[in-house]
Amino acid sequence: MNQDPREFPQNARAALNDPLLRPALGRLKTHFGAGRAAAVARYGDFEALREAGRDIRDYAVTHLDELLIAFEASVNARGGTVHWARDAAEARRLILSILQDAGARTVTKGKSMVTEEIALNPFLEANGIVPVETDLGEYIIQLRKEPPSHIIAPAFHLSKEQVADTFREAHTELDPARPLTERNALVQEARAMLRRQFESADAGITGANFLSAAEGAAIIVTNEGNGDLTRLLPKTHIVVTGIEKVVADMDDVAVLLRLLPRSATGQPISTYVSVMAGPRGCGEADGPEDFHVVLVDNGRSKLIGTEAQDVLRCIRCSACINHCPVYGAIGGHAYGATYMGPIGAALNPGMMSVAEAGHHANASTFCGRCAEVCPVLIPLPKIMRHWRAVEYAGGLAPKTIVRGLGIWAFAAKRPALYRFGASLLARILKMIGRGGTVHALPVMHGWFAVRDFPAPQGKTFQAQWRARR
Amino acid sequence: MNGRETILASIRARRLAQTPRPTPYRAPPTTGDLPQIFAKKLSAQYADVRMLDSMADVPAAIADILRGLNMAARIHIPPDSELASLELANVEIRREPPGAFDAAVTTAPFAIAETGTLAYPAGKGAPASWHFRPVLEIAILRASSIVAELEDVLAALPVGLPSTLNLVSGPSRTGDIEQTMELGAHGPKALAVLIVRDS
Repeated sequence: MNQDPREFPQNARAALNDPLLRPALGRLKTHFGAGRAAAVARYGDFEALREAGRDIRDYAVTHLDELLIAFEASVNARGGTVHWARDAAEARRLILSILQDAGARTVTKGKSMVTEEIALNPFLEANGIVPVETDLGEYIIQLRKEPPSHIIAPAFHLSKEQVADTFREAHTELDPARPLTERNALVQEARAMLRRQFESADAGITGANFLSAAEGAAIIVTNEGNGDLTRLLPKTHIVVTGIEKVVADMDDVAVLLRLLPRSATGQPISTYVSVMAGPRGCGEADGPEDFHVVLVDNGRSKLIGTEAQDVLRCIRCSACINHCPVYGAIGGHAYGATYMGPIGAALNPGMMSVAEAGHHANASTFCGRCAEVCPVLIPLPKIMRHWRAVEYAGGLAPKTIVRGLGIWAFAAKRPALYRFGASLLARILKMIGRGGTVHALPVMHGWFAVRDFPAPQGKTFQAQWRARR
Repeated sequence: MNGRETILASIRARRLAQTPRPTPYRAPPTTGDLPQIFAKKLSAQYADVRMLDSMADVPAAIADILRGLNMAARIHIPPDSELASLELANVEIRREPPGAFDAAVTTAPFAIAETGTLAYPAGKGAPASWHFRPVLEIAILRASSIVAELEDVLAALPVGLPSTLNLVSGPSRTGDIEQTMELGAHGPKALAVLIVRDS
């Protein structure tokens, strides 16, 4: 599969025909969807919580400059350093120079979508530094040299048999005859292999789910505890995250912490929430000696003041992805981008460009489930519609859409022609769909390959309206 | 312009409006017998939670937990911790950091009833990494230090936020293989909490 968002239509078609994806995608509803629904039902007034989350994030997005400056001052006061990266290349350079200054040869990594976005690992490898992913899912796909297929479950697309094969291939020093049929055996093997890496790594890189400006803290939520071993055991800790992750203070974080795990995995709280503020303090028993935060813009600030600004509220919970019928049919790799599903469709055309990622915004039925489950009430379909409008206005829309819309517009401006055409079409479709359903039409093989169309009753809406008046 | 100035200028130049600071959110209140609520919530997250009448009952409980998990009679206790004087018959005590298959005993200065969460501010005698290194963590918690919600912990931190504050709600787990939960990913495979009633 090609890692290029422009190849989305071809990739999506290939994914639809990939039988290996079906069992994984089936788990979206039974695991993520059901878990979220139960967690939301158990919480008192979840709507009020979502509104509070929206307001906290809206305040942050509209005060980003102040909050980032306050965050920087708080980190400095604790003896840490903040670095600002305009784009992916600058972020990579900054991180490399921190690692080189620390004399680091190996670096453990907690899960970070921003480091995927800036393609950090290949860059570090090319510069003689070995990055080791330690989140189990990330570790598996790093061994397989694949990108994540889901923002919180990177190895979502794989079966345990595929993971076992990957481990046998990678861990050649272990007994080839060891049993790896149980999931827990796989988990324990990864635990043993990665513990050595934690203990010998020179530096650790984590992402951040939130930054708290008043305290100068980066907050991560994990279930495995890998992020903590990444921060606490090596000498240097680097946090890499987007500029939009900052909020005013820890009380705001406490509210968002009620939203994030419930929306993501259906947990009332993740097993670990780690508040990481600066290097080891005076008298503290352990922790890193150096603490750096790399703030990455990479196309975020340019969304401020646009129709897509609300997408900056996102807390990357993946609820929209887990409830999306499009993601549910094709999985994550088809998108060819770090962010997939509805959040990718709303974010990628803005962060990259409409020319590059316009397909993502077109791949939506506008069913609206993403907006229904979004913990910070992002109007995702509205933002996708905005990117479609930008694409059309820029002459970048697919030819079939332009031509189809052209024909429709021509008729719609001529009421008599429209009435005639519509009634003709309604009668033809009624004839074809004798059983009440149209199964195929010429020229529309692609559309009908995976869909049926309910046959019209024979009269157009306009005709029925006139008759009833 | 450097990166910092460019990013800040880009934010300021594009911004159309600012929303006001929202009024503080109040979560549905957690009221009642906080130790009971805490124990129920954390037990639901695969932890072994026990109520003890006094600190004198701690050694027997630790020995029982180790026996129940078929583990060697050996525990790691952080140097300088308030447990330094803990005496355990027939259990070896070690001071160095625990390895991936060892047991550690820690003290939790706070706990949160709303979510069944232990709160560990890092400090002298309270190494943050010890909550992640061992395969079994036994946390000792005074019933009176259980508060309703995270906001209460933040307000109660005596000298503000330390460099690390760990919130722990159960043993380490992962759902990364086929979205099916397995315990003991990188951190402890088992978490036991001894709630000691204050005498």
